[in-house]
Amino acid sequence: MSAHQRLRSLTLMAVVLIALLAGCGAPAASPTTAPAAQRQGALRIAFEIPAKLDPAFASADSEIAILNAIYDYLIDVNTESKIVPRLAAQWTTSADGLTYTFTLASGAAFHDGSPVTAQDVVWTFDRLRDPQLKLPTSSLYENIAGITATGDKVVTFKLKQTNPFFLYDLSDNHALVLKAGTTDAATKFNGSGPFRVVSYSPENRMELAANDKYFIAGKPGLASLTFIFFKDQTASVNALRGGQVDLVMRMPSALFKTLQSEQGLTTVSIPTNGFDEVRLRADRKPGNDPRVVKAFKLATDRKAIFQTVSLGLGAAGRDSPIGPLFKAFYSEETPLPARDPKAAKDLLAQAGYPNGLKLDLHVPDSGDRPDLAVVLKEQWKDAGIDANVVVEPESVYYGNNGWLEVDLGITGWGSRPIPQFYLDVMLVTGAKWNEAHWSDAELDKLAKTAGTTLDEAERAKAYKDIQRILIERGPIIIPYFFAQFGAVKNTFTGFNLNAFAGRTDLAAIRVK
Amino acid sequence: MADEGAPPFLSVLYAQAASAFGTSVVLLFLFVAVFGPLFAPYSPTQQIASEARQPPSPQHWFGADRLGRDVFSRVVYGARDIISLAGLGSLLAVIAGTLFGLISGYRGGLFDELLFRLFDAFLSLPSLLLALLLLGTLGPSRNSVLIVIVFVYTPIVARVVRSVVLGVRHKGFIEAAQMRGEAGWYILFREILPSVLPALAVEAALRFSYAIFLVSSLGFLGVGVQPPNPDWGLMVSEGRNTISLTPWALYFPVGAISLLVIGVNLMADGVRRALQGEA
Repeated sequence: MSAHQRLRSLTLMAVVLIALLAGCGAPAASPTTAPAAQRQGALRIAFEIPAKLDPAFASADSEIAILNAIYDYLIDVNTESKIVPRLAAQWTTSADGLTYTFTLASGAAFHDGSPVTAQDVVWTFDRLRDPQLKLPTSSLYENIAGITATGDKVVTFKLKQTNPFFLYDLSDNHALVLKAGTTDAATKFNGSGPFRVVSYSPENRMELAANDKYFIAGKPGLASLTFIFFKDQTASVNALRGGQVDLVMRMPSALFKTLQSEQGLTTVSIPTNGFDEVRLRADRKPGNDPRVVKAFKLATDRKAIFQTVSLGLGAAGRDSPIGPLFKAFYSEETPLPARDPKAAKDLLAQAGYPNGLKLDLHVPDSGDRPDLAVVLKEQWKDAGIDANVVVEPESVYYGNNGWLEVDLGITGWGSRPIPQFYLDVMLVTGAKWNEAHWSDAELDKLAKTAGTTLDEAERAKAYKDIQRILIERGPIIIPYFFAQFGAVKNTFTGFNLNAFAGRTDLAAIRVK
Repeated sequence: MADEGAPPFLSVLYAQAASAFGTSVVLLFLFVAVFGPLFAPYSPTQQIASEARQPPSPQHWFGADRLGRDVFSRVVYGARDIISLAGLGSLLAVIAGTLFGLISGYRGGLFDELLFRLFDAFLSLPSLLLALLLLGTLGPSRNSVLIVIVFVYTPIVARVVRSVVLGVRHKGFIEAAQMRGEAGWYILFREILPSVLPALAVEAALRFSYAIFLVSSLGFLGVGVQPPNPDWGLMVSEGRNTISLTPWALYFPVGAISLLVIGVNLMADGVRRALQGEA
């Protein structure tokens, strides 16, 4: 290679690098024109690559967003966390709080033409509580005594004991109604939802078209919908700026700030109940020593994290998943101990680590989590904790359940409309997503009370005590509740961002 | 190279504006790498939350990044990291490549045939792709990056060395040494190696510049050196997310990478001229 050629290729590389940095992309392919009169326009959404598209196993935002477009929930939760009708047009609750009866909307039909019947709902929820499937969320439905079709369009759920949050459990992210007897849910997509799948090319894109026979009047507003998959959030945002996609949700705070100054976009930021949780495994060394847990808590400065990592967007956390948006349940009664690295160091020495601790800190590469890890590393250093930051793609972090195995990790928990969900699936003894492998008898008892009592005051009291326990001895640090971000091209209207981005109602979006 | 003498060599490097510039840039970065910690005002990982996102000022010459870290100190420490990593990596690759090239080229035969078909197989893959494959198996860390550099660049160096060896293998002075009954190693290192040195010096400088690019590319892609290390590529990758908030956290590491790579390349041209005596 001559000197000239070499310089030329280096220049080329530099140009490519600069182009990448500037985030400029090729101009957009022209969107397909709308065929129908009332439903028009095509919306292209950037999302992370979905891994599990059988609703029962889905959990990530991208998966839920896709499934929420193809299928229907029995009942839905709106952006104000209120229960609203979806497949069920109405429902009644018995006086003792143990029997729920739902009546399905007439006109609801699967994409293959068959009507949605009570039998399909029974089959769906029997599947979700089937122990054979080993679903991490099956505990949500352990309390169900029986589900029966009491009419062609009427379903009755009988509970073993009262559950004030039962309607929310029925509307959990993965509880989408399938046709009875479905065997290939992950590939066939025979839903009843506002959009039907036209083509799916895994890890690339999914094309959907409006379900013209959708039973909810006025929906969907678009003629077609395309999910385009991106490996990371920076790439998604760059695609939006370059015009290859029209809508992006979920991104780091700093990227959102960048988009706010961009022309032609509508940017939305809302507070949520979602949070990043730093957790230490409590069932083996070193986390099984309460002094070590306390040391980690004392070494952390949550306020500083909220300011630098979240840029003040969202809300500061108090080591508990019960955030300020759960108004009546949130409490600041127990003070959060001030940061004291010296005391943390002493505690570590007492616990048998006079020379400090060295641990890998596993963190997925999404949101503000890598920044959180770097800030924690620096804060913990003063207490003699040497955290080796290991940044992994989300698919690696969550893949093969590695996140449940590691000693020290940071996990993002999406927003839910009720606090009980977090307690039941991540904090009580033996919960499948109890990533800290923690077991606390007092907390278990309180969680049970909060999840069964019909007395609001008793529940608030239980939640208050749980927050105290978590501040005192929970092997988790929750430094902030993140805001949810979204940005859409301003030629669209009806974009109403949900705190859990995947639950955003895409059927309500239309062209201006 | 040794018998060229240092002063004339340097003076040749400085005879042309381009290579003089390149050499000065490389020397400057070497100085920063060696003595940087003496004049870097902050630790590269120290976060001053209250000063986060500050633009360049007398306090923070290159500004402070989103977490309140001094960008100047990070660039300075980053120079140390990248030069040591890329330097050591390319040095090891040059040594290994020279050995393979010398022995294989001199012995020839089936050994040569097999080894270089294997090297050809590696060379047919783009080096970044090969690096990503390797890092996928080794896991991201400083040592893995070092292994990757050696692995990726050894075949390239070996190929250059071998081609020179093939050119001189049947020259008279080699045959003379063989007839004198000299040992194989003597012929390899005392007779053949000196003829390889000019090409090797240029190749070494080139490998160094590409290694810098490779290390920063891997850092940029997030599979190389892990945060919070002040790796330039990593800083670029993190900085592009905050380009509207803290553009300085992006531009300075980008500038450092470009300047160093261009400098090394201009110097490599100078080295080639100096050794070929075409100043």
